[in-house]
Amino acid sequence: MSAGPYNYSYIFKYIIIGDMGVGKSCLLHQFTEKKFMADCPHTIGVEFGTRIIEVAGQKIKLQIWDTAGQERFRAVTRSYYRGAAGALLVYDITRRSTYNHLSSWLSDARNLTNPNTVIFLIGNKSDLEAQRDVTYEEAKQFADENELLFIEASAKTGDNVEDAFLETAKKIYQNIQDGSLDLNAAESGVQHKPLQPGRNQPQNQPNPTKEGCAC
Amino acid sequence: MTSAVFPLTVYVLVFITIVFAILLERETDGGKMEDVLDESVSEEDLRKFERRYHDSLAQGTVTHVIQFEYAWCLIRSKYPTDVKRGIFLLEDLSKGENESGKRDCIYYLAIGNAKIKEYSKALGYTKVLLQVEPGNRQVQTLKHTIEKRMEREGLKGMAIIGGAALALGSLIGLGVALARK
Ligand SMILES: Nc1nc2c(ncn2[C@@H]2O[C@H](COP(=O)(O)OP(=O)(O)OP(=O)(O)O)[C@@H](O)[C@H]2O)c(=O)[nH]1
Ligand SMILES: [Mg+2]
Repeated sequence: MSAGPYNYSYIFKYIIIGDMGVGKSCLLHQFTEKKFMADCPHTIGVEFGTRIIEVAGQKIKLQIWDTAGQERFRAVTRSYYRGAAGALLVYDITRRSTYNHLSSWLSDARNLTNPNTVIFLIGNKSDLEAQRDVTYEEAKQFADENELLFIEASAKTGDNVEDAFLETAKKIYQNIQDGSLDLNAAESGVQHKPLQPGRNQPQNQPNPTKEGCAC
Repeated sequence: MTSAVFPLTVYVLVFITIVFAILLERETDGGKMEDVLDESVSEEDLRKFERRYHDSLAQGTVTHVIQFEYAWCLIRSKYPTDVKRGIFLLEDLSKGENESGKRDCIYYLAIGNAKIKEYSKALGYTKVLLQVEPGNRQVQTLKHTIEKRMEREGLKGMAIIGGAALALGSLIGLGVALARK
């Protein structure tokens, strides 16, 4: 299928959420740049990254919002959840507190995204086996109970990082194919690029008029 | 004979101008979300944080957090007046904040200034941040984004001037053609 001047036919919006320091930015960086940052400062607000992937022969552009885990950003970062097609929920397998906070992150994600949003649980820092504080089995059970996809990964070695992002996209694509994700619904988090792009407005936000606008 | 040639060149020039403008337009709004500067806050969220700020202002209970959250949403607005107000609130905050709070403010001051095309100011803020944390990739990325934006705007400015010159040329051509009649 041709997609005009675009070299992809879908856009999926992702968010990455979870406690500070669990490795969200490192996962994003590993996925987009295939590099690990050993000394990564806390994210200020949100970071953004993109990468084009292929699912079932379709080119898909992922637009990924990596949110800051620090508490003082939390109220505003919530406004990025809306219209996410995929949510990567991350904890650190060497810090139990980050695992204990999952239900709070999950309820935020459920409340602020749509019912079809694919939520993928990632136990990060799997390279630090000696410091493990949360077993695979325990997290797997949590994931099953809450109907989440689950994988343990390492942003450091790159282990399973691709899988987490790609599996999420596959699941979203599957939801589109079987009709459970309605592309026309507002905030589906998916844009299908039309053949004649540029003249329409494939945006997340509506375009309401506003008083006090600088016209 | 010349009177027939002139309108033809006029048409060709106008056509080239239009094609050029469309190509540039596509380049600027084609991919839509390419970086943090393309994103904007929803009306609903902006209203929510605005109400919270004004309520606490009325009660005299404005905290740094409440002001920062409102300012951050204003910076994300697509309306320049909002962005300018956000910049004003952040400048106010950055005077009194602690170190990490200052860093947040300066980062969003860079974004806000870039959004209202105050590029040199915006770059100045990223340089301040990089002096403290030279290896901060998030800030480096923002700096790069702003520089790219400047380049693109420069190109667009040239195209507009070029287009105007062509249009003027066409008019003169038309005038000459008419005078010949
Ligand atoms: N060993 C190991 N260290 C990691 C891994 N992923 C991240 N780190 C380290 O963990 C620290 C925090 O990583 P970040 O990616 O900044 O964490 P974050 O979740 O983005 O944190 P906030 O932006 O504050 O929310 C950094 O020092 C990383 O180097 C991993 O898979 N293995
Ligand atoms: Mg981060």
